[in-house]
Amino acid sequence: MSVNEQAEKALVFGAFGAGVVSEQSQSQSINGAAIAGDSETPKSKLRALLIEDDPSDVELALRSLVCGGFAPTCEVVQTAEEFTACLRQNNYDVVLADFRLPRWNGMEAVEILRHENLDIPLIIVSGALGELMAVDCIKQGAADYVLKDHLARLPECVRRALREKQLRDEARHAQQELVRSNRDLEQFAYVASHDLQEPLRMIATYTQLLAERYQGKLDATADKFIHYAVDGALRMQALVQDLLAFSRVGRYGIDCRPTDCNQIVQAAAANLQAAILENDARIHWDPLPVVPADSAQLTQLFQNLIGNAIKFHGPQPPLIQITAEKKRREWLFEVNDNGIGIAPEHFEDVFAIFKRLHTRDEYPGSGIGLAICKKIVEQHGGRIWVKSQPGRGSSFKFLLPASRPESTEVRA
Amino acid sequence: MKTAAEILLVDDSQADIDLLGEVLSMNKHPFHANSVEDGTKALCYLRRQGNYARALRPDLIVLDLNLPRLDGRQVLQQLKCDPDLSKIPVVVFTTSAANSDIVRCYELGANCYLTKPGNLWDFIAVVQSMANFWLGFASLPQKEER
Repeated sequence: MSVNEQAEKALVFGAFGAGVVSEQSQSQSINGAAIAGDSETPKSKLRALLIEDDPSDVELALRSLVCGGFAPTCEVVQTAEEFTACLRQNNYDVVLADFRLPRWNGMEAVEILRHENLDIPLIIVSGALGELMAVDCIKQGAADYVLKDHLARLPECVRRALREKQLRDEARHAQQELVRSNRDLEQFAYVASHDLQEPLRMIATYTQLLAERYQGKLDATADKFIHYAVDGALRMQALVQDLLAFSRVGRYGIDCRPTDCNQIVQAAAANLQAAILENDARIHWDPLPVVPADSAQLTQLFQNLIGNAIKFHGPQPPLIQITAEKKRREWLFEVNDNGIGIAPEHFEDVFAIFKRLHTRDEYPGSGIGLAICKKIVEQHGGRIWVKSQPGRGSSFKFLLPASRPESTEVRA
Repeated sequence: MKTAAEILLVDDSQADIDLLGEVLSMNKHPFHANSVEDGTKALCYLRRQGNYARALRPDLIVLDLNLPRLDGRQVLQQLKCDPDLSKIPVVVFTTSAANSDIVRCYELGANCYLTKPGNLWDFIAVVQSMANFWLGFASLPQKEER
């Protein structure tokens, strides 16, 4: 059958409107070019799937597309079964759906597209469609709607739907790429820190052995050099161990269960008992909620925040106040202290890995604590930030979802 | 008076074997150590096969886990299944601090599991404690007359 014959058959289709199923594919193939003939301007190809029971409406839609600069090819279907079969067989750029068919509601096509996991824009092409109904279609996932009286709008609607779809594809691709590169980076950090430990241990122990055996037996410069080598190796060891600790957070998935934050803060404080006693620190907390969380991670989160509040204390003994407040679907936690505070220009970068605002002589540590806090909060689907004034204490705030997210990402 | 204890060190890192030797030498308990660098050689040594026909039966085995060819876990398993060798105490001495390794080793019959510390002072402390315990306080099976 030639393209023209096929188009003719489809357009004539005596069997179509009468509801008699056509032979073989149960759907009709039409080449739009056959309708308008070849045009001089290059047309953009468009593979469309039409849900339509009226052959003259099919022709009108195709004509409108051709006039609007498309070279459409299409299949026409009338039932959910035909629609699904076509989707599984071919790739389509767009679905044009009549809203009311005798045997099927075209909007159900949106459900089928979703079920088939296909992102193909669906445009409702329909006779009188009330405003409420039209809005409802859009809400359910239709890309647009065009009244049959205003078919001239159709090409522009299709063009816009295709543009939006392309943007969605690009965003999705970028998202996948981001997830992949993050995973690679984490894998790299883990392997690097894990495998670096062994040679580092050799450097550290042997330079220490050198120092132990030959201290004072060479000259003062040699002693100094050895000291630098030992110091560097030990520092690198600490960095590698922190990096490993960072990359281990959530490496084996997070175990989200209802977790009583009062107990968590108590456990965190118990782990910090030595520092609390040494600095005469006091910790007050309001009654805290039960949230879905990984209790080990949450303990580490509070422990790092409270530990920092003690470490970076001001002239007064550290006073730490922890509060929680329900904000719609999230809990806003605050860990407030009376410590040295943070300058506004560092509000963001204190959470960066290995970021330190002080020399090692002033405050020990490698700058991993808040990076781990950020990772923990984000793995729970939350957000962390800080407000502070230098000399007037800091307030670390974080949001945690009050109920379990619908899909908790657990990596094997 | 105790005679010098015979120790077999199984480790693929010569640097670690040297370090162990250095630190053991600081200990007051007399010992004599031999070393092999992989699991297959360790079993040949203990079974006095091939080049090791005249090897001395050790009183203590210090075993690394990540070894070429037969790894430490496999050596441990074969040792503890061998009625002749199973009586020799095995100290696992490894970089791995993974709980899965610790559990597995005790399941296989390890007598002690120690993680190699990252700096000299801790390393000395651990090895000295091990030597004091196994070469000093612990009673080990007496050598059988052959």
